[in-house]
Amino acid sequence: MEKRIFKSIWIWVLIVLVIMVSFPLLAKPHQVNLLTEMIVFSLYAVSYNLLLGFGGLLSFGHGMFLGLSAFTTGAMLQRIPGLPFFGAVLLGTLIATLVGLGIGCLLLRHKGAYYALLTLAFNALFYAIAIKWQKVTGGDDGLPIKRPNIHLGFTQLSMSDVTVFYYVTLVVIGCALLFCWYFTKTAMGKTVLLLRENEERMQFIGYDPSISRLILFTFTAFFAGLAGSFYALFFKFVGVDAISIDMTTTALLMTFIGGTKHFFGPVLGAGFYIYFQNFLSDVTDRWPLFMGILFILLVLFVPRGLSGLIQSLVDHLRKTKN
Amino acid sequence: MNVTTIFILHGLVYAGLLFLVSSGLTLVFGMMNVLNFAHASFYMLAAYFSYSLLIWTGNFYLSLIVCPFLLFVIGAAIERFLLRRVHVLGHVHELLLTFGIAFIISELVKWVWGTAPLPVTIKGFLDGNLNLFGTVYPTYRLFVLFCSILIGLLMTLLLLKTRMGIIVRSAVDDSEMVSALGVNTPKVFMFVFALGAALSAFAGVISGPLLSTNTGMANTILVDAFVVIVIGGFGSLIGAVIASLMIGQLQSFGVLLFPKFSLALIYMLMAIVLILKPSGFFGEKK
Repeated sequence: MEKRIFKSIWIWVLIVLVIMVSFPLLAKPHQVNLLTEMIVFSLYAVSYNLLLGFGGLLSFGHGMFLGLSAFTTGAMLQRIPGLPFFGAVLLGTLIATLVGLGIGCLLLRHKGAYYALLTLAFNALFYAIAIKWQKVTGGDDGLPIKRPNIHLGFTQLSMSDVTVFYYVTLVVIGCALLFCWYFTKTAMGKTVLLLRENEERMQFIGYDPSISRLILFTFTAFFAGLAGSFYALFFKFVGVDAISIDMTTTALLMTFIGGTKHFFGPVLGAGFYIYFQNFLSDVTDRWPLFMGILFILLVLFVPRGLSGLIQSLVDHLRKTKN
Repeated sequence: MNVTTIFILHGLVYAGLLFLVSSGLTLVFGMMNVLNFAHASFYMLAAYFSYSLLIWTGNFYLSLIVCPFLLFVIGAAIERFLLRRVHVLGHVHELLLTFGIAFIISELVKWVWGTAPLPVTIKGFLDGNLNLFGTVYPTYRLFVLFCSILIGLLMTLLLLKTRMGIIVRSAVDDSEMVSALGVNTPKVFMFVFALGAALSAFAGVISGPLLSTNTGMANTILVDAFVVIVIGGFGSLIGAVIASLMIGQLQSFGVLLFPKFSLALIYMLMAIVLILKPSGFFGEKK
């Protein structure tokens, strides 16, 4: 049984992979751009869901990691001439991870409402810094970014090409997503579930919840940072929006729309969110309002999100078949 | 000397506003375990209502009474029809719901009133200056301070001297037990939630002429109020008073002494308190 499920997952992965790889050959550039954005944000949402859905920790400060990494990437590219593409990505991600580790150390004893509040306060702090520290962040004006090309020795990948950037993003973020998925299957990933389900019992068995929380927090900071780096490179611009509370809100909305109980729910949510936003912003300027109403309706009536909806649909079909 | 007095007064005025907002927040959290993200949105909504009412009627005192009442009704409705529904799903869902409400209110405000800051001007007696401790100080700021002290005293009386107050205080300690003793706790929850909304609305109305009425005002005060209840301890009114006073002074002198870091000072204070005493000054360990 276990094996069959495993097999069917690999078939799905293969199908998705084929679609993703062949997509740029069939689609227009702006569609490729849209898909790139979806991929970047799905990593962001997945990393958020590792906290919310798997760890049961409601964080209101996830945007700071995305923003920190985006700003670091931008500032480093501006300061250090000739910095390679992956050097910038690595630096941004590293800073986000280190800050995640530091803040995680301060937060490791807290959970629930305290946790939500404290992460919110830290996010507000970093937002304030980003606005004030104009020398590095550009303040309200933001930072324009040039995407460096990737040198492979024998050839050079031109990053200004939409399709090439799409493939690079797909490979890097795709690997990161798969690694996150693998993480949830490891013993360490299972302790995260313990954290959510029963912390007292976890201590009886001999695990330390504080350490697990710290590891989880740093881990998610790393992946949010990676997403942030690609966010900066994708938009070729970083503004203070990237580190604002609204950015955290975005992660929350995406994750919740997609559903928190399933690993790939946030991927679905991110795709839906970006598409819906793109569609609505053509129609009306007030798209966040509709997003908010959708969110409330989901909280009230479909607490398991889109993936939960699909799951119950599949279950229903199976039942009727039998 | 002069400057110091003025800044102490500025700090006190802000502390008053902050207390009005955070007292409701901390009581609701203490009783229902719900961190109400929409609390500051009530504050913002009331400020905008008051702006429109001022244009319409021109009477500031009227909006001081009408807006809190409106928000009392809205708060009660939100608790009764939305929050109570998701109560069974757990705290995270309640938190997400209030968050969604805050999001919608802020978008609605942007839609109806636009994103530009709106000036609120008052006329008459409140618009002047008063001589105080040898300095000239705007009457309106003193009025704000006076109002918040008055409301604070009224609340203390309500909580300490009435039957309702006894029920609320015991519900903060242990709402299940209170419910077991035959008190209709859902009704009490609704009342406290609505009262908190009304207090927040009152703060919103009086803050209109003081600070500018803009779409970011909810987030600004929300974060400060959160810091207040973290420092003061969840569910503690006296903690909220003391923490408000501290944040008020810190805010006002921070701007004077370290203009660049004034925003960071509050968070630094919060981090220090949390490291030394994670449950806040008057919070219980949970």
